[in-house]
Amino acid sequence: MLRTIIDKEIRDLLRSTKFGYTFAVCAVLILLSFYVGASNYQTSVTHHEAARAENLRQLEGLTDWLNVEQHRIFLPPQPLAALVTGISNDIGRTTEVEARGELTAHDSRFNEEPIFAVFRFLDLRFIFQIVLSLLAILLGYDAISGEKERGTLRLALANAVPRWKYLLGKLIGLFGTLSVSLLVALAFGCLMLPMMGVPMGGSDWIRLVLVIVAGLLYFGSFLSLSVFVSSMTQRTSSSFLVLLVVWIVSVLIIPRSAVLLAGRAVDVPSVDELASKKASLDSDLWSDFRSALADFSVPGEKDPDKLMKAFNDYMDSLTNVRDDQMDAFASRLNEDRYNRQLQQQALAFNLARISPAASFSLATSELAGTSLALKDRYRQAAAEYQKAYASFMKEKTGMNVGGRMIIMKIGDDEEKELIDPSELPAFVYNQPQLAGSIGNVTTDTGLLVFFNLIFFAAAMVAFNRYDAR
Amino acid sequence: MINTESNNGQPRLQAVDLSKRYEDGVLALDSVNFSVYPGQVFAMLGGNGAGKTTAINLFLNLIEPTSGEAFIQGISAHREPLKAKANVAFVSENVMLYPNFTAMQNLEFFVRLGGKTECGTDDLRAVLRRVGLPDEVHHKRLKGYSKGMRQKCGIAIAILKDAPAILLDEPTSGLDPKAGFDFIRLLESLRDEGKAILMSTHDIFRAREVADVVAIMNNGRIIMQENASTLSGKDLEQVYMQYMAGHNLETAV
Repeated sequence: MLRTIIDKEIRDLLRSTKFGYTFAVCAVLILLSFYVGASNYQTSVTHHEAARAENLRQLEGLTDWLNVEQHRIFLPPQPLAALVTGISNDIGRTTEVEARGELTAHDSRFNEEPIFAVFRFLDLRFIFQIVLSLLAILLGYDAISGEKERGTLRLALANAVPRWKYLLGKLIGLFGTLSVSLLVALAFGCLMLPMMGVPMGGSDWIRLVLVIVAGLLYFGSFLSLSVFVSSMTQRTSSSFLVLLVVWIVSVLIIPRSAVLLAGRAVDVPSVDELASKKASLDSDLWSDFRSALADFSVPGEKDPDKLMKAFNDYMDSLTNVRDDQMDAFASRLNEDRYNRQLQQQALAFNLARISPAASFSLATSELAGTSLALKDRYRQAAAEYQKAYASFMKEKTGMNVGGRMIIMKIGDDEEKELIDPSELPAFVYNQPQLAGSIGNVTTDTGLLVFFNLIFFAAAMVAFNRYDAR
Repeated sequence: MINTESNNGQPRLQAVDLSKRYEDGVLALDSVNFSVYPGQVFAMLGGNGAGKTTAINLFLNLIEPTSGEAFIQGISAHREPLKAKANVAFVSENVMLYPNFTAMQNLEFFVRLGGKTECGTDDLRAVLRRVGLPDEVHHKRLKGYSKGMRQKCGIAIAILKDAPAILLDEPTSGLDPKAGFDFIRLLESLRDEGKAILMSTHDIFRAREVADVVAIMNNGRIIMQENASTLSGKDLEQVYMQYMAGHNLETAV
């Protein structure tokens, strides 16, 4: 009997004009999101290669590593960021590296091309979060109330059909048909990726499959919700109206309100506030540094080379002291801000998770490696690189360069060999481990499963009490 | 109470002190008792709100009785609804069915839902022909059907279920005279097959034509129940109006 109900639901859905139109729109949007994502990836790779080449070109012609200024590293484009952009377009991709001092990333995609920040990209996450949740509502709002209006519910329940079986059959039929249809469109989209030159590794494919699974769970939760609301209302117009309000609250209002509430609850000092404090200390330390420089003296030493060496050592020690003080202060401020930010984020995310849209968004951006953690990972990779860079420069120049050190060179008139920029350590950014990402999305995926179950259970209770007259 | 019982064995449909009071306090059915036997058409006549549809809904367990019981083949429709409903077919007013399905597909679905799996295409076609739907419309989607054609489709579903009892809720409502006439002939043939038929209707003329027992309902109560033979020669419309007037007067006093 369950099979009869599922079979009928599938055939009824496939024959409806509503399904034809909405599925066509969704399929086009899915394919478009893959195409746009792959194109964006190609553009990002071109820009990335060009920026790296330009960075190395600027070092050509230099004869002394001490003259290296504005050495930059770049966050490489990630294949999955093209499909689930997350924060990848909001954070700076370029970091100027000196052997010491704080590192700041700049040149975000939206900073360079603000037009995209206005309407954002048509990525897979957007298609699922907005379009497919609406599709679920459009195809599920009349699941029960529509049957009631048509009179088919009374006719069906006049038979020896348990209500739970009828509802389960409807839901399986609806979910199965829509999921398979969407999977066909998604499979074509996936085929596009290698064809358009997006280098998808094994781990990337697994991540993409998991993103799609999360998408289907999210879709399923809205479908169950639609059937639940449909089982609570007697008219299709009422169920559609209720669902529209629930959708707006769940997808648009709850995530944003959660961020606002968390912002009120946990105070995080602004970057400008921190910069001002750092600048103030830096200014004090710099003035101490200059006073201390004036105290340099090597009584009795006449040899300029030895004198220069002694001055460099003296300056190096002063710079180290100043840097240590500055670093300690800055790291204290940064750590405090970072901890507060983490508290704020945790609160915002936990509040937002009452909406399936937030759980889905957090899970997919984590799987694609474009969650908020991307910024931390890039910063960490840049800090690692800074250490390698500092040790390289020390090896090449014999000094701890950077930190506004005054470089005084003598005997510069002799012929020197050109430096080889390819000797510079290479910047490597590694995606988080797949196992780690899967572990991080357990909560959100679990919540999506929970939403499915709870909405289905609610639909079951409501339908058992439904006035089918 | 006038004895309207038949000698055709046990009743297939039976209402025993059946009452229903809705949440808003309206007493839709007030201690109603009747029985429908095999090969009998029992017509419930009455105006809107008389309680006819409520009685049918109670037999289908779409609502719970406030008191009393509805039995199908001696099985309580409330306590054992699935078992009871396996023994009854139902035709509703304004049958809509699935507009994107053809008549054959609609039949196939409802027949399977009714628990019959051995029905082949030929069986479906034969029943559709029997109810007056020609072969050329069997594979047309129902959204192109007239109301009468849909009603015939609904009757075909009930016939295919081959249940011992049939419930009809305003089955001739909105049918044109020819379709109404055809429907009555069909009902007669079902009665001749031994089905117990409970029909709610506003249509006095159709009721007189086919019913073996006529019950007039008002305000949730059966105010008159007579065998058709007792009513023969009488103007049923006049009887109906007299009873309604009398009952209303009684209620008013």
